[in-house]
Amino acid sequence: MTIFTLDKVRKTFTNGEIEEEILKGINLSLKEGEVTALVGASGSGKSTLLTIAAGLQPASNGQVIFDGNNMTAMSSEEVRKIRASKFGFVFQFAHLVPFLTVEEQLMLMLDVSESRLSKQARKAEVNKILLLVEMDHKKNAYPSSLSGGEKQRVAIARAIIHEPKVLFADEPTASLDSKRSKDVMSLIQNITKTLNITTLMVTHDEEMLSYVDHVIKMSDGIVLQSGD
Amino acid sequence: MNIAWKEIKKNKVRFLILGSIVFLVSLLTFIISGLANGLSQDNAALIKDLPKGQFYMNKDAEETYNLSKIDSDIQKEILNKQKDAVAFSIQMGFLNDKDDKQQSVAFVASTDSKLFKNVKDGEIILDSSLKNKGIKVGDTLTNNQFSGEFIVKGFVDQKKYSHAPVAYINMKNYQEIYRVMEMQLIFTPGGDSSKEFTGLQSFSNKDFLNTIPSYNAEQMSLNMIVWFLVVISGMLFAIFFYMMNVQKVGLYGILKAIGIKTSRLFKMMWTQMLFITIIALIMSITLSQFFNMVAPEGMPFHLTFETTAQLSIVFLIIGFIGATLSGMQIKKIEPLQAIQQGEA
Repeated sequence: MTIFTLDKVRKTFTNGEIEEEILKGINLSLKEGEVTALVGASGSGKSTLLTIAAGLQPASNGQVIFDGNNMTAMSSEEVRKIRASKFGFVFQFAHLVPFLTVEEQLMLMLDVSESRLSKQARKAEVNKILLLVEMDHKKNAYPSSLSGGEKQRVAIARAIIHEPKVLFADEPTASLDSKRSKDVMSLIQNITKTLNITTLMVTHDEEMLSYVDHVIKMSDGIVLQSGD
Repeated sequence: MNIAWKEIKKNKVRFLILGSIVFLVSLLTFIISGLANGLSQDNAALIKDLPKGQFYMNKDAEETYNLSKIDSDIQKEILNKQKDAVAFSIQMGFLNDKDDKQQSVAFVASTDSKLFKNVKDGEIILDSSLKNKGIKVGDTLTNNQFSGEFIVKGFVDQKKYSHAPVAYINMKNYQEIYRVMEMQLIFTPGGDSSKEFTGLQSFSNKDFLNTIPSYNAEQMSLNMIVWFLVVISGMLFAIFFYMMNVQKVGLYGILKAIGIKTSRLFKMMWTQMLFITIIALIMSITLSQFFNMVAPEGMPFHLTFETTAQLSIVFLIIGFIGATLSGMQIKKIEPLQAIQQGEA
Protein backbone atom coordinates (compact mmCIF):
# COMPACT_ATOMS: atom_id res chain seq x y z
CA MET A 1 0.00 0.00 0.00
CA THR A 2 1.36 3.44 -0.94
CA ILE A 3 1.78 5.63 2.10
CA PHE A 4 3.86 8.46 0.73
CA THR A 5 3.62 10.26 -2.59
CA LEU A 6 5.70 13.11 -3.95
CA ASP A 7 4.00 14.78 -6.89
CA LYS A 8 6.01 17.07 -9.21
CA VAL A 9 8.10 18.37 -6.33
CA ARG A 10 10.35 21.29 -7.23
CA LYS A 11 12.80 23.19 -5.08
CA THR A 12 14.59 26.36 -6.06
CA PHE A 13 17.13 28.36 -4.07
CA THR A 14 17.96 31.96 -4.72
CA ASN A 15 21.56 33.01 -4.27
CA GLY A 16 21.72 36.74 -4.84
CA GLU A 17 20.28 37.21 -8.31
CA ILE A 18 20.92 33.64 -9.36
CA GLU A 19 18.05 31.17 -9.02
CA GLU A 20 19.09 27.56 -8.83
CA GLU A 21 16.67 24.66 -9.26
CA ILE A 22 17.74 21.75 -7.07
CA LEU A 23 14.73 19.51 -7.65
CA LYS A 24 13.09 19.58 -11.06
CA GLY A 25 9.67 18.01 -10.63
CA ILE A 26 10.21 14.76 -8.73
CA ASN A 27 7.51 12.08 -8.69
CA LEU A 28 7.91 9.33 -6.14
CA SER A 29 5.81 6.89 -4.14
CA LEU A 30 6.78 4.78 -1.13
CA LYS A 31 5.12 1.56 0.00
CA GLU A 32 4.59 0.26 3.53
CA GLY A 33 7.22 -2.13 4.87
CA GLU A 34 9.80 -1.29 2.22
CA VAL A 35 13.23 0.32 2.32
CA THR A 36 13.88 2.83 -0.47
CA ALA A 37 17.32 4.25 -1.04
CA LEU A 38 18.05 7.55 -2.75
CA VAL A 39 21.46 7.45 -4.37
CA GLY A 40 23.40 9.86 -6.51
CA ALA A 41 26.40 12.12 -6.62
CA SER A 42 26.84 15.06 -4.26
CA GLY A 43 24.57 17.91 -5.30
CA SER A 44 22.11 15.60 -7.08
CA GLY A 45 19.35 16.75 -4.70
CA LYS A 46 18.80 13.49 -2.76
CA SER A 47 19.19 15.04 0.72
CA THR A 48 16.98 17.98 -0.25
CA LEU A 49 14.33 15.55 -1.44
CA LEU A 50 14.51 13.61 1.85
CA THR A 51 14.20 16.75 4.00
CA ILE A 52 11.22 18.00 1.95
CA ALA A 53 9.50 14.61 2.30
CA ALA A 54 10.22 14.69 6.04
CA GLY A 55 8.65 18.13 6.43
CA LEU A 56 11.93 19.77 7.44
CA GLN A 57 11.75 22.28 4.61
CA PRO A 58 8.97 23.27 2.22
CA ALA A 59 8.86 22.47 -1.47
CA SER A 60 8.76 25.41 -3.89
CA ASN A 61 6.19 23.60 -6.00
CA GLY A 62 4.35 20.30 -6.08
CA GLN A 63 2.70 18.21 -3.40
CA VAL A 64 3.84 15.88 -0.61
CA ILE A 65 1.03 13.49 0.25
CA PHE A 66 1.41 11.46 3.43
CA ASP A 67 -1.25 8.95 4.44
CA GLY A 68 -3.76 10.75 2.19
CA ASN A 69 -3.01 14.22 3.61
CA ASN A 70 -1.36 17.02 1.64
CA MET A 71 1.54 18.11 3.86
CA THR A 72 2.40 21.08 1.64
CA ALA A 73 -0.93 22.69 2.58
CA MET A 74 -0.43 22.20 6.34
CA SER A 75 0.69 24.77 8.92
CA SER A 76 4.16 24.37 10.45
CA GLU A 77 2.56 23.22 13.73
CA GLU A 78 0.60 20.51 11.92
CA VAL A 79 3.78 19.37 10.16
CA ARG A 80 5.62 19.35 13.53
CA LYS A 81 2.92 17.11 15.00
CA ILE A 82 3.30 14.68 12.10
CA ARG A 83 7.09 14.71 12.53
CA ALA A 84 6.72 14.00 16.25
CA SER A 85 4.19 11.19 16.00
CA LYS A 86 4.38 9.62 12.55
CA PHE A 87 7.99 10.08 11.46
CA GLY A 88 11.28 8.78 12.80
CA PHE A 89 14.67 10.26 12.00
CA VAL A 90 18.18 8.83 11.82
CA PHE A 91 20.95 11.19 10.75
CA GLN A 92 24.56 10.81 9.70
CA PHE A 93 25.54 11.49 13.31
CA ALA A 94 23.54 10.10 16.21
CA HIS A 95 22.76 13.55 17.69
CA LEU A 96 21.83 12.12 21.09
CA VAL A 97 21.03 14.44 24.01
CA PRO A 98 24.33 14.45 25.95
CA PHE A 99 22.76 14.76 29.40
CA LEU A 100 20.23 11.93 29.03
CA THR A 101 20.87 8.22 29.51
CA VAL A 102 20.02 5.78 26.73
CA GLU A 103 16.72 4.94 28.45
CA GLU A 104 15.90 8.65 28.92
CA GLN A 105 16.57 9.42 25.22
CA LEU A 106 13.80 6.99 24.33
CA MET A 107 11.48 8.18 27.09
CA LEU A 108 11.91 11.75 25.79
CA MET A 109 10.85 10.64 22.29
CA LEU A 110 7.73 9.03 23.77
CA ASP A 111 7.08 12.36 25.52
CA VAL A 112 7.57 14.35 22.31
CA SER A 113 5.25 12.06 20.35
CA GLU A 114 2.63 12.54 23.10
CA SER A 115 2.37 8.80 23.57
CA ARG A 116 -0.72 7.71 25.48
CA LEU A 117 1.09 4.80 27.12
CA SER A 118 1.24 4.64 30.91
CA LYS A 119 4.57 5.11 32.66
CA GLN A 120 4.93 1.34 33.13
CA ALA A 121 3.97 0.61 29.53
CA ARG A 122 6.51 3.19 28.35
CA LYS A 123 9.26 1.47 30.34
CA ALA A 124 8.26 -1.87 28.87
CA GLU A 125 8.29 -0.39 25.35
CA VAL A 126 11.74 1.11 25.92
CA ASN A 127 13.07 -2.25 27.13
CA LYS A 128 11.54 -4.01 24.10
CA ILE A 129 13.13 -1.60 21.59
CA LEU A 130 16.48 -1.63 23.37
CA LEU A 131 16.45 -5.43 23.11
CA LEU A 132 15.66 -5.13 19.41
CA VAL A 133 18.68 -2.87 18.80
CA GLU A 134 20.77 -4.91 21.27
CA MET A 135 21.43 -1.98 23.56
CA ASP A 136 19.46 -3.15 26.61
CA HIS A 137 22.67 -3.67 28.59
CA LYS A 138 23.56 0.03 28.18
CA LYS A 139 20.24 1.59 29.09
CA ASN A 140 21.72 3.61 31.97
CA ALA A 141 24.76 4.77 30.00
CA TYR A 142 25.27 8.35 28.82
CA PRO A 143 26.15 9.00 25.14
CA SER A 144 29.72 10.00 26.09
CA SER A 145 30.44 6.40 27.12
CA LEU A 146 29.09 4.82 23.90
CA SER A 147 30.97 3.93 20.70
CA GLY A 148 29.90 5.41 17.33
CA GLY A 149 28.01 2.24 16.37
CA GLU A 150 26.27 2.06 19.74
CA LYS A 151 25.22 5.70 19.48
CA GLN A 152 23.73 5.05 16.05
CA ARG A 153 21.83 2.03 17.42
CA VAL A 154 20.38 4.25 20.15
CA ALA A 155 19.50 6.87 17.51
CA ILE A 156 17.64 4.16 15.55
CA ALA A 157 15.88 3.04 18.75
CA ARG A 158 14.86 6.67 19.38
CA ALA A 159 13.58 6.94 15.82
CA ILE A 160 11.26 3.91 16.13
CA ILE A 161 10.22 3.89 19.81
CA HIS A 162 6.99 5.77 19.05
CA GLU A 163 6.09 3.37 16.22
CA PRO A 164 6.36 5.85 13.33
CA LYS A 165 4.90 5.14 9.93
CA VAL A 166 7.94 6.44 8.06
CA LEU A 167 11.61 6.31 8.96
CA PHE A 168 13.86 8.89 7.32
CA ALA A 169 17.55 8.08 7.34
CA ASP A 170 20.07 10.57 5.99
CA GLU A 171 23.40 8.80 5.41
CA PRO A 172 22.98 6.73 8.60
CA THR A 173 26.21 4.80 8.03
CA ALA A 174 28.44 7.63 6.79
CA SER A 175 30.22 8.08 10.11
CA LEU A 176 30.69 4.34 10.74
CA ASP A 177 33.27 1.77 9.65
CA SER A 178 32.33 -1.00 7.23
CA LYS A 179 31.37 -3.63 9.84
CA ARG A 180 29.27 -1.24 11.90
CA SER A 181 27.66 0.14 8.73
CA LYS A 182 26.50 -3.35 7.81
CA ASP A 183 25.18 -3.94 11.34
CA VAL A 184 23.21 -0.69 11.26
CA MET A 185 21.80 -1.37 7.77
CA SER A 186 20.82 -4.86 8.76
CA LEU A 187 19.07 -3.40 11.79
CA ILE A 188 17.17 -0.85 9.67
CA GLN A 189 16.12 -3.57 7.25
CA ASN A 190 15.01 -5.81 10.10
CA ILE A 191 13.03 -3.05 11.82
CA THR A 192 11.32 -2.01 8.59
CA LYS A 193 10.04 -5.54 8.10
CA THR A 194 9.26 -6.33 11.75
CA LEU A 195 7.40 -3.10 12.49
CA ASN A 196 6.01 -2.62 8.95
CA ILE A 197 7.61 0.82 8.66
CA THR A 198 8.31 2.66 5.41
CA THR A 199 11.94 3.70 5.19
CA LEU A 200 13.40 6.38 2.94
CA MET A 201 17.16 6.52 3.10
CA VAL A 202 19.90 8.61 1.51
CA THR A 203 23.21 6.89 0.96
CA HIS A 204 26.20 7.10 -1.31
CA ASP A 205 27.59 3.77 -0.15
CA GLU A 206 26.75 1.23 -2.88
CA GLU A 207 27.55 -1.65 -0.51
CA MET A 208 24.49 -0.77 1.52
CA LEU A 209 22.11 -1.18 -1.42
CA SER A 210 21.91 -4.92 -0.83
CA TYR A 211 19.78 -4.14 2.24
CA VAL A 212 17.13 -2.09 0.42
CA ASP A 213 14.02 -2.97 -1.61
CA HIS A 214 14.11 -0.05 -4.07
CA VAL A 215 16.86 2.17 -5.36
CA ILE A 216 16.16 5.60 -6.82
CA LYS A 217 19.10 7.09 -8.64
CA MET A 218 19.15 10.85 -8.84
CA SER A 219 21.23 13.24 -10.89
CA ASP A 220 21.01 16.99 -11.21
CA GLY A 221 17.60 17.25 -9.54
CA ILE A 222 15.81 14.55 -11.51
CA VAL A 223 15.19 10.81 -11.05
CA LEU A 224 17.45 9.01 -13.50
CA GLN A 225 16.43 5.50 -12.69
CA SER A 226 14.07 3.72 -10.34
CA GLY A 227 14.28 0.01 -9.72
CA ASP A 228 14.29 -2.95 -7.29
CA MET B 1 10.20 14.16 31.68
CA ASN B 2 11.99 17.11 33.24
CA ILE B 3 14.92 17.58 30.86
CA ALA B 4 15.86 20.89 32.55
CA TRP B 5 16.58 19.09 35.82
CA LYS B 6 18.38 16.23 34.02
CA GLU B 7 20.75 18.76 32.43
CA ILE B 8 21.45 20.47 35.75
CA LYS B 9 22.16 17.08 37.34
CA LYS B 10 24.57 16.10 34.57
CA ASN B 11 26.33 19.49 34.32
CA LYS B 12 26.50 20.35 38.03
CA VAL B 13 29.71 22.39 37.85
CA ARG B 14 28.48 24.64 35.04
CA PHE B 15 25.28 25.49 36.89
CA LEU B 16 27.06 25.74 40.22
CA ILE B 17 29.33 28.44 38.77
CA LEU B 18 26.38 30.50 37.53
CA GLY B 19 24.51 29.93 40.80
CA SER B 20 27.55 31.10 42.80
CA ILE B 21 27.86 34.28 40.75
CA VAL B 22 24.14 35.05 41.14
CA PHE B 23 24.44 34.33 44.87
CA LEU B 24 27.40 36.72 45.25
CA VAL B 25 25.80 39.48 43.18
CA SER B 26 22.47 39.23 45.02
CA LEU B 27 24.22 39.10 48.41
CA LEU B 28 26.21 42.21 47.52
CA THR B 29 23.00 43.89 46.38
CA PHE B 30 21.24 43.07 49.66
CA ILE B 31 24.21 44.27 51.72
CA ILE B 32 24.46 47.57 49.83
CA SER B 33 20.70 47.98 50.01
CA GLY B 34 20.91 47.36 53.77
CA LEU B 35 23.63 50.00 54.02
CA ALA B 36 21.58 52.46 51.95
CA ASN B 37 18.59 51.90 54.23
CA GLY B 38 20.78 52.11 57.33
CA LEU B 39 22.40 55.36 56.19
CA SER B 40 18.99 56.73 55.28
CA GLN B 41 17.76 55.95 58.80
CA ASP B 42 20.92 57.44 60.27
CA ASN B 43 20.47 60.57 58.19
CA ALA B 44 16.77 61.17 58.55
CA ALA B 45 15.02 58.75 60.94
CA LEU B 46 13.45 61.77 62.65
CA ILE B 47 11.66 62.71 59.42
CA LYS B 48 11.12 59.19 58.06
CA ASP B 49 9.32 58.11 61.24
CA LEU B 50 6.71 60.85 60.80
CA PRO B 51 3.38 59.80 59.25
CA LYS B 52 2.47 60.80 55.68
CA GLY B 53 1.67 64.46 55.46
CA GLN B 54 2.82 67.85 54.23
CA PHE B 55 5.82 69.91 55.27
CA TYR B 56 5.74 73.68 54.87
CA MET B 57 8.66 76.05 54.77
CA ASN B 58 9.11 79.66 53.80
CA LYS B 59 9.11 80.21 50.02
CA ASP B 60 12.06 82.62 50.37
CA ALA B 61 14.16 79.84 51.92
CA GLU B 62 14.57 78.31 48.44
CA GLU B 63 13.99 74.77 49.67
CA THR B 64 16.65 75.06 52.39
CA TYR B 65 14.89 74.50 55.69
CA ASN B 66 17.80 76.09 57.62
CA LEU B 67 16.94 79.41 56.02
CA SER B 68 13.22 79.09 56.61
CA LYS B 69 11.43 81.33 59.08
CA ILE B 70 7.69 80.90 59.36
CA ASP B 71 5.73 83.99 60.20
CA SER B 72 4.12 83.58 63.64
CA ASP B 73 0.67 84.74 62.40
CA ILE B 74 0.62 82.11 59.62
CA GLN B 75 1.88 79.51 62.09
CA LYS B 76 -0.98 80.36 64.49
CA GLU B 77 -3.50 80.24 61.64
CA ILE B 78 -2.37 76.77 60.50
CA LEU B 79 -2.13 75.33 64.01
CA ASN B 80 -5.62 76.66 64.81
CA LYS B 81 -7.08 75.24 61.61
CA GLN B 82 -5.51 71.81 61.99
CA LYS B 83 -5.22 70.66 65.58
CA ASP B 84 -2.64 67.89 64.95
CA ALA B 85 -0.32 70.19 62.96
CA VAL B 86 3.06 70.96 64.53
CA ALA B 87 5.64 73.70 64.04
CA PHE B 88 9.23 72.63 64.63
CA SER B 89 12.88 73.50 64.07
CA ILE B 90 16.01 71.42 63.65
CA GLN B 91 19.52 72.81 64.17
CA MET B 92 22.85 71.07 64.45
CA GLY B 93 24.73 71.89 67.65
CA PHE B 94 26.81 70.65 70.57
CA LEU B 95 26.25 69.56 74.14
CA ASN B 96 28.92 69.42 76.82
CA ASP B 97 28.74 66.61 79.34
CA LYS B 98 29.90 66.73 82.97
CA ASP B 99 33.51 66.09 81.86
CA ASP B 100 33.15 68.98 79.40
CA LYS B 101 33.32 66.55 76.52
CA GLN B 102 31.51 67.83 73.46
CA GLN B 103 28.81 65.73 71.80
CA SER B 104 27.42 66.64 68.39
CA VAL B 105 23.61 66.60 68.32
CA ALA B 106 20.63 67.76 66.24
CA PHE B 107 18.50 70.03 68.46
CA VAL B 108 14.78 69.62 67.82
CA ALA B 109 12.18 71.95 69.30
CA SER B 110 8.48 71.85 68.53
CA THR B 111 5.06 73.12 69.55
CA ASP B 112 2.92 70.69 71.58
CA SER B 113 2.42 67.51 69.53
CA LYS B 114 2.27 63.75 69.84
CA LEU B 115 4.73 63.50 66.95
CA PHE B 116 7.66 65.05 68.87
CA LYS B 117 8.80 64.70 72.46
CA ASN B 118 7.57 67.59 74.55
CA VAL B 119 10.06 68.74 77.12
CA LYS B 120 9.92 71.38 79.80
CA ASP B 121 12.25 74.36 80.17
CA GLY B 122 15.74 73.13 81.10
CA GLU B 123 15.02 69.51 80.28
CA ILE B 124 16.37 67.41 77.43
CA ILE B 125 15.48 64.01 75.87
CA LEU B 126 18.22 62.33 73.85
CA ASP B 127 18.63 59.59 71.28
CA SER B 128 19.67 56.37 73.01
CA SER B 129 22.97 56.22 71.08
CA LEU B 130 24.28 58.82 73.53
CA LYS B 131 24.00 56.25 76.33
CA ASN B 132 27.10 54.68 74.83
CA LYS B 133 28.92 57.98 75.44
CA GLY B 134 28.30 57.59 79.14
CA ILE B 135 25.32 59.95 79.42
CA LYS B 136 22.62 58.82 81.88
CA VAL B 137 19.19 60.00 82.97
CA GLY B 138 19.65 62.83 85.48
CA ASP B 139 22.96 64.02 84.04
CA THR B 140 23.48 67.72 83.54
CA LEU B 141 24.50 68.94 80.10
CA THR B 142 25.43 72.42 78.92
CA ASN B 143 25.68 74.44 75.75
CA ASN B 144 27.84 77.55 75.40
CA GLN B 145 24.95 79.51 73.83
CA PHE B 146 22.56 78.54 76.62
CA SER B 147 22.58 80.35 79.94
CA GLY B 148 21.09 77.47 81.91
CA GLU B 149 21.67 73.73 82.11
CA PHE B 150 19.85 70.77 80.57
CA ILE B 151 18.83 67.86 82.75
CA VAL B 152 18.57 64.54 80.88
CA LYS B 153 14.99 63.31 81.34
CA GLY B 154 15.13 60.24 79.18
CA PHE B 155 16.12 58.56 75.94
CA VAL B 156 14.35 57.66 72.70
CA ASP B 157 15.28 54.85 70.29
CA GLN B 158 16.48 55.41 66.72
CA LYS B 159 15.97 59.15 66.43
CA LYS B 160 18.78 60.47 64.24
CA TYR B 161 19.14 63.43 61.96
CA SER B 162 22.03 64.16 59.62
CA HIS B 163 23.95 61.24 61.16
CA ALA B 164 23.75 62.92 64.61
CA PRO B 165 21.65 61.90 67.62
CA VAL B 166 18.54 64.00 68.15
CA ALA B 167 18.22 66.15 71.30
CA TYR B 168 14.65 67.30 72.06
CA ILE B 169 14.63 70.65 73.88
CA ASN B 170 11.99 73.16 74.88
CA MET B 171 11.06 75.87 72.35
CA LYS B 172 12.05 78.64 74.74
CA ASN B 173 15.54 77.16 75.19
CA TYR B 174 15.87 76.71 71.44
CA GLN B 175 15.01 80.36 70.85
CA GLU B 176 17.68 81.40 73.33
CA ILE B 177 20.41 79.21 71.83
CA TYR B 178 19.74 80.18 68.20
CA ARG B 179 18.41 83.68 68.87
CA VAL B 180 15.37 83.22 66.62
CA MET B 181 11.73 83.48 67.51
CA GLU B 182 10.30 81.80 64.42
CA MET B 183 10.03 78.08 63.74
CA GLN B 184 11.53 76.67 60.52
CA LEU B 185 8.88 74.19 59.53
CA ILE B 186 5.26 73.18 59.89
CA PHE B 187 4.10 69.60 59.50
CA THR B 188 0.46 68.67 58.90
CA PRO B 189 -0.17 64.91 59.21
CA GLY B 190 -2.34 63.49 56.42
CA GLY B 191 -2.46 66.89 54.70
CA ASP B 192 -2.35 67.08 50.94
CA SER B 193 -0.42 69.42 48.67
CA SER B 194 -3.58 71.18 47.50
CA LYS B 195 -3.66 73.12 50.79
CA GLU B 196 -1.71 76.29 50.23
CA PHE B 197 -0.73 79.03 52.63
CA THR B 198 0.52 82.48 51.73
CA GLY B 199 4.30 82.65 51.52
CA LEU B 200 4.78 78.92 52.26
CA GLN B 201 5.95 76.14 50.02
CA SER B 202 4.63 72.61 50.61
CA PHE B 203 6.55 69.35 50.38
CA SER B 204 5.53 65.70 50.60
CA ASN B 205 7.58 63.52 52.99
CA LYS B 206 9.71 62.25 50.09
CA ASP B 207 10.25 65.73 48.63
CA PHE B 208 11.21 67.08 52.01
CA LEU B 209 13.78 64.30 52.54
CA ASN B 210 15.40 65.37 49.29
CA THR B 211 15.88 68.90 50.60
CA ILE B 212 18.09 67.58 53.40
CA PRO B 213 21.70 68.32 52.46
CA SER B 214 23.62 65.09 51.60
CA TYR B 215 20.55 62.84 51.86
CA ASN B 216 19.76 62.82 48.16
CA ALA B 217 23.37 62.48 47.02
CA GLU B 218 24.04 59.66 49.49
CA GLN B 219 20.93 57.68 48.61
CA MET B 220 21.25 58.26 44.90
CA SER B 221 24.78 56.86 44.71
CA LEU B 222 23.93 53.80 46.81
CA ASN B 223 20.73 53.11 44.93
CA MET B 224 22.61 53.47 41.68
CA ILE B 225 25.01 50.72 42.82
CA VAL B 226 22.07 48.52 43.80
CA TRP B 227 20.36 48.88 40.42
CA PHE B 228 23.65 48.50 38.62
CA LEU B 229 24.13 45.14 40.35
CA VAL B 230 20.59 44.11 39.45
CA VAL B 231 21.27 44.93 35.79
CA ILE B 232 24.59 43.04 35.96
CA SER B 233 22.78 39.95 37.22
CA GLY B 234 20.33 40.19 34.30
CA MET B 235 23.25 40.47 31.89
CA LEU B 236 24.91 37.49 33.58
CA PHE B 237 21.87 35.36 32.85
CA ALA B 238 21.68 36.63 29.29
CA ILE B 239 25.37 35.90 28.65
CA PHE B 240 25.33 32.51 30.42
CA PHE B 241 22.28 31.22 28.60
CA TYR B 242 23.52 32.72 25.34
CA MET B 243 26.77 30.75 25.67
CA MET B 244 24.85 27.61 26.65
CA ASN B 245 22.44 28.05 23.75
CA VAL B 246 25.25 28.64 21.25
CA GLN B 247 26.77 25.32 22.35
CA LYS B 248 23.41 23.61 22.03
CA VAL B 249 22.29 25.00 18.65
CA GLY B 250 22.85 21.59 17.03
CA LEU B 251 21.05 19.74 19.79
CA TYR B 252 18.08 22.12 19.72
CA GLY B 253 17.90 21.75 15.94
CA ILE B 254 17.77 17.95 16.18
CA LEU B 255 15.18 18.12 18.98
CA LYS B 256 13.10 20.41 16.78
CA ALA B 257 13.53 18.02 13.85
CA ILE B 258 12.18 15.08 15.87
CA GLY B 259 9.19 17.23 16.78
CA ILE B 260 9.89 18.87 20.16
CA LYS B 261 8.00 22.16 20.61
CA THR B 262 10.03 25.40 20.75
CA SER B 263 7.99 26.36 23.82
CA ARG B 264 9.29 23.26 25.61
CA LEU B 265 12.88 24.37 24.97
CA PHE B 266 12.03 27.81 26.40
CA LYS B 267 10.37 26.18 29.43
CA MET B 268 13.53 24.14 29.95
CA MET B 269 15.63 27.31 30.01
CA TRP B 270 13.21 29.18 32.28
CA THR B 271 13.07 26.24 34.71
CA GLN B 272 16.86 26.25 34.94
CA MET B 273 16.93 30.03 35.42
CA LEU B 274 14.29 29.85 38.16
CA PHE B 275 16.01 26.95 39.90
CA ILE B 276 19.39 28.71 39.99
CA THR B 277 17.97 32.10 40.99
CA ILE B 278 15.70 30.78 43.73
CA ILE B 279 18.47 28.70 45.35
CA ALA B 280 20.92 31.63 45.08
CA LEU B 281 18.34 34.06 46.51
CA ILE B 282 17.42 31.78 49.43
CA MET B 283 21.11 31.60 50.34
CA SER B 284 21.78 35.31 49.98
CA ILE B 285 18.58 36.29 51.87
CA THR B 286 19.53 33.97 54.75
CA LEU B 287 23.07 35.32 54.89
CA SER B 288 22.06 38.98 54.60
CA GLN B 289 19.41 38.60 57.33
CA PHE B 290 22.01 36.93 59.52
CA PHE B 291 24.32 39.87 58.83
CA ASN B 292 21.43 42.19 59.72
CA MET B 293 21.36 40.58 63.17
CA VAL B 294 25.10 40.48 63.83
CA ALA B 295 26.18 43.75 62.15
CA PRO B 296 28.26 45.88 64.54
CA GLU B 297 26.17 48.49 66.39
CA GLY B 298 28.07 51.40 64.88
CA MET B 299 27.38 50.20 61.35
CA PRO B 300 24.30 51.84 59.82
CA PHE B 301 22.80 48.62 58.41
CA HIS B 302 19.05 48.14 58.16
CA LEU B 303 17.62 45.51 55.82
CA THR B 304 13.88 45.00 55.97
CA PHE B 305 12.14 41.88 54.73
CA GLU B 306 10.06 44.10 52.42
CA THR B 307 13.17 45.46 50.67
CA THR B 308 14.62 41.95 50.37
CA ALA B 309 11.38 40.61 48.89
CA GLN B 310 11.13 43.51 46.42
CA LEU B 311 14.73 43.06 45.26
CA SER B 312 14.26 39.28 44.96
CA ILE B 313 11.26 39.78 42.69
CA VAL B 314 13.29 42.23 40.59
CA PHE B 315 16.12 39.64 40.37
CA LEU B 316 13.67 37.00 39.14
CA ILE B 317 12.16 39.35 36.55
CA ILE B 318 15.57 40.52 35.33
CA GLY B 319 16.82 36.90 35.20
CA PHE B 320 13.74 35.92 33.22
CA ILE B 321 14.24 38.79 30.75
CA GLY B 322 17.96 38.02 30.39
CA ALA B 323 17.37 34.33 29.77
CA THR B 324 14.48 34.99 27.38
CA LEU B 325 16.46 37.52 25.33
CA SER B 326 19.30 35.07 24.91
CA GLY B 327 16.77 32.33 24.16
CA MET B 328 15.38 34.21 21.16
CA GLN B 329 18.04 32.42 19.09
CA ILE B 330 16.30 29.11 19.90
CA LYS B 331 13.29 30.34 17.98
CA LYS B 332 15.46 31.04 14.94
CA ILE B 333 17.17 27.63 14.87
CA GLU B 334 16.33 25.66 11.74
CA PRO B 335 16.37 21.87 12.21
CA LEU B 336 17.84 21.47 8.75
CA GLN B 337 20.79 23.68 9.59
CA ALA B 338 21.55 21.58 12.68
CA ILE B 339 21.42 18.34 10.71
CA GLN B 340 23.80 19.73 8.09
CA GLN B 341 26.20 21.02 10.77
CA GLY B 342 26.98 17.52 12.02
CA GLU B 343 27.49 16.23 15.55
CA ALA B 344 27.38 18.91 18.27
